[in-house]
Amino acid sequence: MQSGLGVKAARVAIVVALFAIWEILSRTGLVNPRLLPSASDTLATLGDLLQRASVRKDLAVTATEVVTAFALAVPVGALIGFLIAENRYFADVAKPLLFFAFSIPKSIFLPMFILVFGVGFAQKVGFGFFSTIFIVIMSTTTAVESVKVEHLTVARSYGATPMQTAFRVYLPSMLPVLLEALRISMIFNLTGVILAEMYASRDGIGHQIATWGENFQMKQLLAGVVMIAVIAIAFNELVRWVETRCSHWRT
Amino acid sequence: MQPLANITPLKPAGAIEVRNVGQIFKTTTQDVVALEDVSLDVKPGRFVVLVGPSGCGKSTLLMMMAGLRQQTSGTITISGAPIPEPDPNRVGVVFQEASLFPWLTAEENVEFPLALRGVAKSDRRARAQDALKLVGLDGFGRRHPHELSGGMKQRVSIARGLVQDPPVLLMDEPFAALDEQTRMTMGDELLRIWAATGKTVVFVTHSLTEAVYLADEVIVMSPRPGRIVDHLQVSLPRPRTYEMLSGDAFGSLRDRIWRHIRKSA
Repeated sequence: MQSGLGVKAARVAIVVALFAIWEILSRTGLVNPRLLPSASDTLATLGDLLQRASVRKDLAVTATEVVTAFALAVPVGALIGFLIAENRYFADVAKPLLFFAFSIPKSIFLPMFILVFGVGFAQKVGFGFFSTIFIVIMSTTTAVESVKVEHLTVARSYGATPMQTAFRVYLPSMLPVLLEALRISMIFNLTGVILAEMYASRDGIGHQIATWGENFQMKQLLAGVVMIAVIAIAFNELVRWVETRCSHWRT
Repeated sequence: MQPLANITPLKPAGAIEVRNVGQIFKTTTQDVVALEDVSLDVKPGRFVVLVGPSGCGKSTLLMMMAGLRQQTSGTITISGAPIPEPDPNRVGVVFQEASLFPWLTAEENVEFPLALRGVAKSDRRARAQDALKLVGLDGFGRRHPHELSGGMKQRVSIARGLVQDPPVLLMDEPFAALDEQTRMTMGDELLRIWAATGKTVVFVTHSLTEAVYLADEVIVMSPRPGRIVDHLQVSLPRPRTYEMLSGDAFGSLRDRIWRHIRKSA
């Protein structure tokens, strides 16, 4: 996506304006500062929190859970998606069922994960995996379908082996769609893990955010929100940057 | 000592023999006869064009010559041997538009057939350069397909078909998606490349003008079941020129093909 300097400036202006409104609402007392601490106080609190060993530990715990769940869900989901898409019969049978599964809000299964896995690492990873895998499967089937028949015929006419076809045609054809899938999967994965932490946990940043909320520690709560938002946006933008670099592959 | 060739006469490289070929597509409800009793001889170095209405099986016949599809009955030989699977050493194939890999540069696309066989990188690059030069794309090797015009993309496709130097080049409506002017230019370019390399070319098209303009021989096919209904020799001198298009000889050949096609459409 091309965007001129003016568009970028407008975006920055909107973000700055939001923070400014936030600051003014709180400073002038239009909104009770106990309910909405000012933006500057929140950012200062965020700085303090990041210095604290306990918060860093919580972040590390959450990061480990997120990465583990992601590292399991993406290859497993991609493999299932690939097998489904490669077989006409499986695809016909499984696709509507996947749509059914995908449409169910995953959060209602959280109590079951606690019953099965207890409260801890496995429960978070399990729920993160469960939240992510359906979107990975569905995106992979889309990615496989994005491979052009013409390209497969070319490979065949020049004597490509199945391995060569997989690595030289399927993989590069699918890459743009897969990157997009990766990005969207991570949103589901983060949501899953943090939700699981907020619901029942002893550690993790989601648990901290829930605790701050319950204890009415608004500064910490808002600082936590800003922190998670920045991390999520950073990952998303990183993948998007890679995506734009190979966007012309689609044409 | 008797040379072996005198005992078992070998078919020269680039000869294509199609003998009583039939193709039946089985669907759940019925069997569709796509081709019926098609026989055809293409001598080495000839430029043969297959024309006919949609559904006459001309592309199917081409795919069978490429080893990408097997006939239900009859035999096809290329340079004297059957072609049960694609053999890039004997046959190069140029497809309709959009057959280039968009993630590879022009030269990487041309190198693709060589890369599959593990040809060394430097050798590969040199041969791709030669092929690109032959099709008039010297200096465009580093561009990606999206940076090339439609005509240039098809030049790259032709270079890819020629890079392994097969005696036969099969072309499946390669210029169908191009605009009229580009199409004419590409026709002249193709004739130049053909004259320079001496390949046997089998070319499928919908365009009667293109057929007569390019061909030594035009094979006219009818649909359902696909059969050969006429086999014309085009005796117009070479090189072909734009002025010939308005000549009587050209017109009468095109009319003859059109009458066959109108009958079957």
